[in-house]
Amino acid sequence: MPEVLENRIHARGTPRALRLDLLLQRVALVGIILGVWWVLALGVPHYILPGPVRVWNALQQISSNGDLWNNLGITLGRVGAGFILATVIGLPLGILFGANRRLGEFFEPIIPVLNTVSSAIWAIFAIIWFGVSNATTIFVVFMTAMPLIITNVWQGTRTVNADFIELAHVLRMPSWKVMVKIYLPTILPYFFSGARLAFGFGWRVSLVAETLGSSSGVGYRLRQAADLIQTDQVFAWTLTLVVMMAALEMGVLRPLEDHLFRWKKEAENQ
Amino acid sequence: MNTAVASQTVPVETGAIAVRGVSKWFKTADGSPLQVLADIELTIPAHSMVAILGASGCGKSTLLNIISGLVTPEQGEVLINGTPSRQFSDWRSVSYMFQEDRLLPWRTTLHNVEFALEAGSIPHSERQARAREALRLVGLETFEDAFPYQLSGGMRSRVALARSLVLEPCILLMDEPFSRLDALTRAQMHDELLRIQQLKHMTIVFVTHDVEEAVVLADTVVVMAPRPGRIRDQVPIALSRPRDATEAATARLAHQLKSLI
Repeated sequence: MPEVLENRIHARGTPRALRLDLLLQRVALVGIILGVWWVLALGVPHYILPGPVRVWNALQQISSNGDLWNNLGITLGRVGAGFILATVIGLPLGILFGANRRLGEFFEPIIPVLNTVSSAIWAIFAIIWFGVSNATTIFVVFMTAMPLIITNVWQGTRTVNADFIELAHVLRMPSWKVMVKIYLPTILPYFFSGARLAFGFGWRVSLVAETLGSSSGVGYRLRQAADLIQTDQVFAWTLTLVVMMAALEMGVLRPLEDHLFRWKKEAENQ
Repeated sequence: MNTAVASQTVPVETGAIAVRGVSKWFKTADGSPLQVLADIELTIPAHSMVAILGASGCGKSTLLNIISGLVTPEQGEVLINGTPSRQFSDWRSVSYMFQEDRLLPWRTTLHNVEFALEAGSIPHSERQARAREALRLVGLETFEDAFPYQLSGGMRSRVALARSLVLEPCILLMDEPFSRLDALTRAQMHDELLRIQQLKHMTIVFVTHDVEEAVVLADTVVVMAPRPGRIRDQVPIALSRPRDATEAATARLAHQLKSLI
């Protein structure tokens, strides 16, 4: 039995050959997309579909004059602020609605209503209320992210194991410690999947908000480039966004999740 | 066959338990009261190992929960170390081991054992040292970083046992703690429990419906009868340890107990 256990403990990493194989596949996929893009762009005017080289040059131009980093920073700051606000308000509300059945029943209909209101509508309201300012984008991100976080945390509180609460009770554990040591770890995976969804949505709607009501940020620059028919720059900004989201996902979110929920993921992989 | 302690005096030694005239009613679905325990009288001397044996539904788990202070009886009282349980405050010296291991899946072995110490205000370094000590006691010191899903059923049971022992209890209450293990692992856990009791001398009260388990482990077997739950007999087991369930004397006792249930 001990050997079996050792195997189970050490069988964590994916075999190396498999990873290399996957990497090659990814490289091939990117190559094919670039190739198709290049061929298509050959027969079309550059303001309709700029080729890869043209977009690369535009990218170099906006990154060398600081335009790229400046606007990326502004947008990221707004998304971050709206997201943090949504977490600070959504997490306790989700726990509250989950822990108190009466409150939960009372407020339950609000969540689907909030979820059905389009982000574009929030953006229009935000412009009416806040005008062209940082608050407009932050508000839109907040209104999109908060219901998602509340819903997920709420769902998480439903999975708290009554057996563990009883265990804490037998140990005469004070209730605030039960919240921290049993409720919070149970909710955390749910919060995380809600937060990831919220961040992804927030990022997308922030662009809509910036297009409509801002004088800076990636969304604003996208619209500006489109208005001036600088299609190569539109492509460059889009590419930047894709790369940044992928980097956040693979460089921050996934490693963090892997570490926090190593007990869970591996158990599911058994 | 009479009880080990016949007198009605209250034992005040640390680890002693006295149940005095305890009756308990539950409300049924239609609101009418249902008596689950009737006038339970039981004296458990310190450092002894007592099995509460009975068919399911005889109130044996309820009796254990009343002893642990989780459930309050309508009549009678429980005295722990001579103190009525209402006034008793040192509940952390009374450990409770559940039927399931109830290990927190997000915690490693070591942190699961530490959990029992986190209710109080013991500094982290001391918690860790004591948890390691408890793991050594159950022979799991090399698995302190493993998560519950990586452990076998027997190992998980050992972790749960270590978590019960880490508080250095004077009383250990167990609700069919090994009933979910296979026969071989269960026998190993029995040896383990006997070895630890020899070392720590705590009072152990365990609920079981397994006659062999009761005969192999206990000094005294309290046999309960159902509807309402009451004590039918208390049978002292004088056989020397270690006991083997297949030996003639043990088997005979087991047979005798089975006829009582």
